[in-house]
Amino acid sequence: MPVHELLNESIDVQVEFSGKRVHPTHVHWGKREYVMKKVNLVHATNEGEKRIYYFSVSDDSCFMKLRLDTGSLEWRIVEFYSE
Amino acid sequence: MSRLILHIDFNSFFASVEAQANPFLRGKAFAVAGKGKGRIDREAGAIQGRRTSIADLSHSRSVVTTASREAKNLGVKTAMTTWEAQRIIPNLPIIPGDPRKYAEVTHRFLKILHEHCDAVEQFSVDEAFADITTVAGDKFGAILFAQILRSNIIKSIGETCTASIGIGPNKVLAKLASESVKPNGITFVDIGDAEIFVASRSLSDICGIGRRTEKRLKSLGIFTILQLRSAPIDRLIAEFGPHTGQFLWDVSRGIGDDTVTDSEGDDPKSVGHSYTFPHGLETENEIHNNLLALADMVAQRLRNQNLFATHVNVFARYEDGGGSGTSATLPEATNDGLTLFEYGLRSLLPILDLDRGIRLLGISATHFAHHIPSLIPEHSDRYRRCITALDAVAKRFGTGAWHRASTLNTIFLERVSGWHYDHE
Repeated sequence: MPVHELLNESIDVQVEFSGKRVHPTHVHWGKREYVMKKVNLVHATNEGEKRIYYFSVSDDSCFMKLRLDTGSLEWRIVEFYSE
Repeated sequence: MSRLILHIDFNSFFASVEAQANPFLRGKAFAVAGKGKGRIDREAGAIQGRRTSIADLSHSRSVVTTASREAKNLGVKTAMTTWEAQRIIPNLPIIPGDPRKYAEVTHRFLKILHEHCDAVEQFSVDEAFADITTVAGDKFGAILFAQILRSNIIKSIGETCTASIGIGPNKVLAKLASESVKPNGITFVDIGDAEIFVASRSLSDICGIGRRTEKRLKSLGIFTILQLRSAPIDRLIAEFGPHTGQFLWDVSRGIGDDTVTDSEGDDPKSVGHSYTFPHGLETENEIHNNLLALADMVAQRLRNQNLFATHVNVFARYEDGGGSGTSATLPEATNDGLTLFEYGLRSLLPILDLDRGIRLLGISATHFAHHIPSLIPEHSDRYRRCITALDAVAKRFGTGAWHRASTLNTIFLERVSGWHYDHE
């Protein structure tokens, strides 16, 4: 059975900059490092004056939705799917 | 020369966006439920380390807003209750909707249309009409434009979000054309083929012929478009009134409105919020708290847009399916939640049957004035300064940063509906 969870945990993320775009490439969560292969969708929303970006990223075995708070520059993982 | 009207309709929109974000959902049967996950995220954030399995979420009284193509093929339909859907496909994954994600995709496809088209009229969150007469020129230009549009959508959103595109001389034919080939079709209906094309469709395919109209037509012995076409105009007008009667006569011949009204920047005609509750409301106190919370949401949106309403509409739907609704004229144009609530409640309570349990409650403000009203006698300067300060708090920290004490326990989940997004 696949694991599909909503959560909200602080993580460390390495990114690559390409022009004006940001691509999360490595996610450090718990004691593991996940190498993300694809950015499938990026969407943004406002929480008051704060701009929040969500990155839907995946590798061969899992999907993560990552939240970047541009005010505090904090990354969080808010959704996780693994087969 | 007839106009070239394009209608674009995304296929299984919310499910496609979910599958675009999460590639592991692609090719699988799943459904997107109506209540959003924003609240769940925030709750999880408040309790560090808490995880919520999507399989364990309660979707009681939620409906399927979109099923993936694979789920549709097995019989799951939009607007089915999640309980009914899981009876058809046991263990069907039901994903709570994520309206902010879908809104981004809506904005992106509308932006693409606005960049190229003479006028764009948004029809719902995943549908729009565009006048492409100038940009396309003729039939071949129109088909080429549709192909370019499709490729721009893939580039901007992703390959999973497919759309059906219909092109015709008016909006009725364009919409009918887009719905005739799903998913991912491009259909062009020439003005000369309009009558033949319309005749090939059923009554219920026509946008504007709902279940009730279809039932009434059938009671008159009209079961097909051809039968509708042979009905005399006088008979249709006598039965349905001048507006609908004329519409039915026209549509059976492929005649329709070819004006695409650019909706960007227009003031809204009404601002409202409604909510379906997980259990029926049975006490006046519950009605008070929930209506006040809804009125505050409406008022905040009015203030954000600098609108002042002179009318308030309130409505309730009962557990047994019926409903009550009424409206009130306000003494002066306002964008104050308490005033909307007081006049709304005063009108609603006398007609409300609490014994039937209230399943849905809604309030909307209409008839907008564009001037700043003079002093509202009911509220002091101090009260207005307080509201101004609270608006500043909401602007800085987001909607939901403050609540009235009486509505602290009133929590609304963001809905995923086909017509608009709650957060916008």
